[in-house]
Amino acid sequence: MAVKVAFLQNSDCWGCHQSLLNLHLGLLNVLPALEIVYWPAVVDFKYDSLKARADGEILVGFVEGTLRTKHDIEQTKVLRQKSALIVAFGTCSCYGSVKGLANQWSKDNLVKRKFSDVESIADGSGGEPTINMPGFTDKIVPVDEVIKVDAYMSGCPPKPEAIASAVVFLLGQKAHPMNDLSFCNDCTIKDNCLLDRGKLCFGSITSMGCSLKCTSDDKPCVGCFGPAKTVDSRAEKLNKMAKKPGKLSPGDIKSLYEFLPLFLNVPLMAGFDLAGDILKQIKRHGSPETTLANLPPTTMEIASKLMGFLKDNRGFTEISTVCDTCPRIIGSKSTMTRVKRDYEGLPNMEDCLIEQGYICAGPITQAGCGGMCLKVNSPCTGCYGQTEWGVDQAERFADIVLKGYNVDISKKELLAQVKDHLGTFEKFTLASNRKFKGGE
Amino acid sequence: MVKEIVVEPVTRLEGHNTLKVKLGDDGTVQDVQFSITSTRFFEKFLEGRYCEHIPRITPRICGICPIPHHLTPTKAVEDAWGVQIPPAAYKLRQLLQNAKQYSSHALHFYALAAPDFLLGPMADPALRNVVHVINQMPDVGAMALKMMDFGQKLCQEIGGKSVHPISAIVGGMKKPMNESARDLFLKQIGDQVEWSKKTVEIGLKVVEDYWDVVANVGVVPTYYVGMTKNGVHDIYDGDIRIVSPTGEKFDYAPQRYLEALGEHIPEHSYATHMYYKPAGYPEGIYRANTLAMLNAADKMATPLADEALQAMRAKIGTDVIHHTFAYHWARLIELVESIEVIATLLQDPDIVNPDCKTLDVQPREGDGVGVTEAPRGLLLYHIWSDAEGICKKANLLVATNHNIAGIEKTLMHVAKQVFEDKALDGLSLPDPWIK
Repeated sequence: MAVKVAFLQNSDCWGCHQSLLNLHLGLLNVLPALEIVYWPAVVDFKYDSLKARADGEILVGFVEGTLRTKHDIEQTKVLRQKSALIVAFGTCSCYGSVKGLANQWSKDNLVKRKFSDVESIADGSGGEPTINMPGFTDKIVPVDEVIKVDAYMSGCPPKPEAIASAVVFLLGQKAHPMNDLSFCNDCTIKDNCLLDRGKLCFGSITSMGCSLKCTSDDKPCVGCFGPAKTVDSRAEKLNKMAKKPGKLSPGDIKSLYEFLPLFLNVPLMAGFDLAGDILKQIKRHGSPETTLANLPPTTMEIASKLMGFLKDNRGFTEISTVCDTCPRIIGSKSTMTRVKRDYEGLPNMEDCLIEQGYICAGPITQAGCGGMCLKVNSPCTGCYGQTEWGVDQAERFADIVLKGYNVDISKKELLAQVKDHLGTFEKFTLASNRKFKGGE
Repeated sequence: MVKEIVVEPVTRLEGHNTLKVKLGDDGTVQDVQFSITSTRFFEKFLEGRYCEHIPRITPRICGICPIPHHLTPTKAVEDAWGVQIPPAAYKLRQLLQNAKQYSSHALHFYALAAPDFLLGPMADPALRNVVHVINQMPDVGAMALKMMDFGQKLCQEIGGKSVHPISAIVGGMKKPMNESARDLFLKQIGDQVEWSKKTVEIGLKVVEDYWDVVANVGVVPTYYVGMTKNGVHDIYDGDIRIVSPTGEKFDYAPQRYLEALGEHIPEHSYATHMYYKPAGYPEGIYRANTLAMLNAADKMATPLADEALQAMRAKIGTDVIHHTFAYHWARLIELVESIEVIATLLQDPDIVNPDCKTLDVQPREGDGVGVTEAPRGLLLYHIWSDAEGICKKANLLVATNHNIAGIEKTLMHVAKQVFEDKALDGLSLPDPWIK
């Protein structure tokens, strides 16, 4: 049976919706699963019909766009009330996107430039329009400052395949078989199994039904069939290991890295960075509140502990930057000796853009895009959001590149040569920077 | 007592609108307000940015037409800094712009407009959408999706991303097209041209079915704004052309835009109203977008499209066409032109030419103007740069500005037809294709 979903458009550009529509023929697989009860871009339901729905009636509400007007705030609260799950859909909703750069100025200044102090006004008109108008918010904030958010999907826009996977996943229709019994039930190693030998093997909480390829090669199950409805008794042992993830061997770390995205079905959603977004949730609310799947309690406990581990393990989260998915060579024949502007010359396609002298936000930006900008010879500008929050992004960038990239210039010089720090390092996330006061 | 009819939000369009129609006791239309209820202040927060970063920010103005919002500020900065681009870059940008035009026009016709015609204006609102069209007419639906997909994939190939592209840079393009990718797109051209022709056939059938509506509802004389290159239809490069209600044409180089285009700040819309300055406001209110472009053009740039334009002029009129419902027809003529331009450019060796970027680019103090025709109308960027190439100020006149006053004027006309003249009562409507 089709389930109810709603797409809310706050002050947006339509790009997230266009990205969803970019599935094109792929839409034919997704649409039958959905009963779209609100989506002004595509269907004709009016705002009153949304307000008239019962609380919690909508399974998933996607909130897209920035909170620029008072009406944006109001309808976001309405959708929260009507929806069981809320997804912050796209970078505007997660972090404010480029529109957050407006926080540099006071509302009065913004209004003046837009409605009064304009070269092309030719008839003496001017001033903020007020008839039928909702009025503006004082500054842009991410959606989770206003309502509770259950899952974040960043990207400007998120990739179509990521949206489709997320929709299918959230609707509980994921390709995972979700069998009753676990992998252990089928596994041919009954005595002294991988888990008994201290290896992080996820068979006890994973659905049975695969070809057992991993354990046949004496490698641990990494959960690619997704959760089982019931867990094997071995899960207790796994749970104990998950309590002390700091003691994991490098091989186990690799299993863990493979496990979470595969098990939670996130690789298709947004790459490993969705786990990064779950981390944001943990950071904000203290514990993982994810309602992403109806997991058995033990499974949920294990997955939560391991996610919690990721939160505190810098070495681990640093894996998921744009650089990790970039095809260019870091440690190339090039070296940055001064900061180049984007219009200068033309970089080659092989070497890291930073090492060629350009500012590329890859080292501080969440993965998930697959490095699309780099492939057309343009630097990353950070549209998926950052991998660390609450820090000075320019300084963090400089620290990272001075350490791990061919950069032969001092931190002070590097930072001095970039004139527009906010537009370069916080282009998409200024609204999420709680330390930034702005508003002159 | 005044009766108020409110449509909130107006659906199946890009943006956030509320429509209010106010009726008097005697049923006369007292006022029509078409209110755009959001704006994001791009003009202000571009200040202080590197000028070459502007094209990486402004695509976020519109996710349907991010390509023009990427290319137009690039042109404006090139104008301000006095930068020339290589021929290969020019052609790559033309190809990119037309790829967007193709997918956007297909999306507009099939996803935004067609539900009204295929299900009929009286259909259940819950069904009057593209999802239902796809379910009920799977063959047409699949064809439409494959057309949009082709355009979007081509945008992605050249632009790096189809939504919010990145490959244009002040001085040219960051990368030419790959030969292997070019070959893959070339292979699909035959099918795409056929589907474009098929789409025109569907469009003509709709025009024929709804001729009573096309000919009688919303025929509103206004000015028009478009772009032509030496009088020929062009969406990447050219001069602003104004067409008067009686068909007179006035050309302005982009840098002279302030002589032609006036802005009025209404009290009931965040999107401001544009008008032809010498005619004043509201007399000079113009319309933009597809029909405006065709009213402006002496001819189309390609043979099939020009044939289609001549057919429309033979049917409706040769001087200037004021029929609002002809916008859809005009869109399909532009769709045909875009696929013909794409076919020609894909065969041009320059699009795989690595000499696509001027290497020596230097900022300088000054201002520059860039103009293109976005799928929904004229798009203009005026950018002021300081000597270091940092943006001091920006003035943006986007398609929404150019359309909104004209749309409101049209709505007023139609509201009077509907509520005062009861024009819908005698109207002959066809049996819906989808029942």
